[in-house]
Amino acid sequence: MKAMYINPFLNASMNLFKEYLNVSVTVSPPVLLKDPNELKEVSAIIGLAGDTVGAVVLTFSRETAIKMVSKFSGLSFMAITNEVIDGVGEMVNIIAGNAKKDLEDYRIEISLPGVITGNSYNINWPKGVPVISIPFQSEFGDFSVNVSMRDMKV
Amino acid sequence: MKVLIIDDSSTMRRIHRNILLEAGCKDEDIIDAEDGEKALQLANSNNIGLFIVDWNMPHLNGLQFVKIIRSMEKYSLTPVVMITSEAAKYNVMEAITSGVTNYIVKPVKAEIFLEKISKYLT
Ligand SMILES: [Mg+2]
Repeated sequence: MKAMYINPFLNASMNLFKEYLNVSVTVSPPVLLKDPNELKEVSAIIGLAGDTVGAVVLTFSRETAIKMVSKFSGLSFMAITNEVIDGVGEMVNIIAGNAKKDLEDYRIEISLPGVITGNSYNINWPKGVPVISIPFQSEFGDFSVNVSMRDMKV
Repeated sequence: MKVLIIDDSSTMRRIHRNILLEAGCKDEDIIDAEDGEKALQLANSNNIGLFIVDWNMPHLNGLQFVKIIRSMEKYSLTPVVMITSEAAKYNVMEAITSGVTNYIVKPVKAEIFLEKISKYLT
């Protein structure tokens, strides 16, 4: 999986959390996700199709999800409600849709977002392709954006 | 004038509604739908003066919705603002050729969103 596929998702995430939501966020160098099923408690997933096959997963702890969506929607949530789940799904939709701007040489379609909560679940990552995890640190806690994409035909 | 907000995300529908209220729209003049199919029913039973429509939605997506209302005499010229996360140029072109009046990429700050839609609210 090419490194050039990662930056668009990193930039789109920084734009959403830092520029738009005004949350103080820093990013660490992307790493290989060793166990692709080891994510946090609230994960939003979007599938990629077209010139590639892939998936993007935004994953938060419960607490971070609640705080981040409260900031996003302007309401203050105290627990994981349907609205918090909706907000996390919309965030991954924004990250994936915005990332396409920097991948314009390819035709990519994004799926509707899905959100899963809990501690053990299986993500349908594309087979035989590594998952790259972009670690973020924020005032609301750590989170990550995880990307796996099959190399595209040039 | 009635405004129809169409987005599958309840968070986005709330954000858009709040911005319209801030712009002086009356709450009862703002109606919303969570997909294109439900929006089509509302478009048929109301007189909509402005559509604010997302692209990626279940059942009937925003692009399909726009193509359908553009074929209706009633809505052949009504302003349609598409606000979506889809940021690729080929998506913008496809939306414009399908009849979208103005294309805005999410996330957009309230001030900029207002600036872009205010001309349709009078
Ligand atoms: Mg949507």
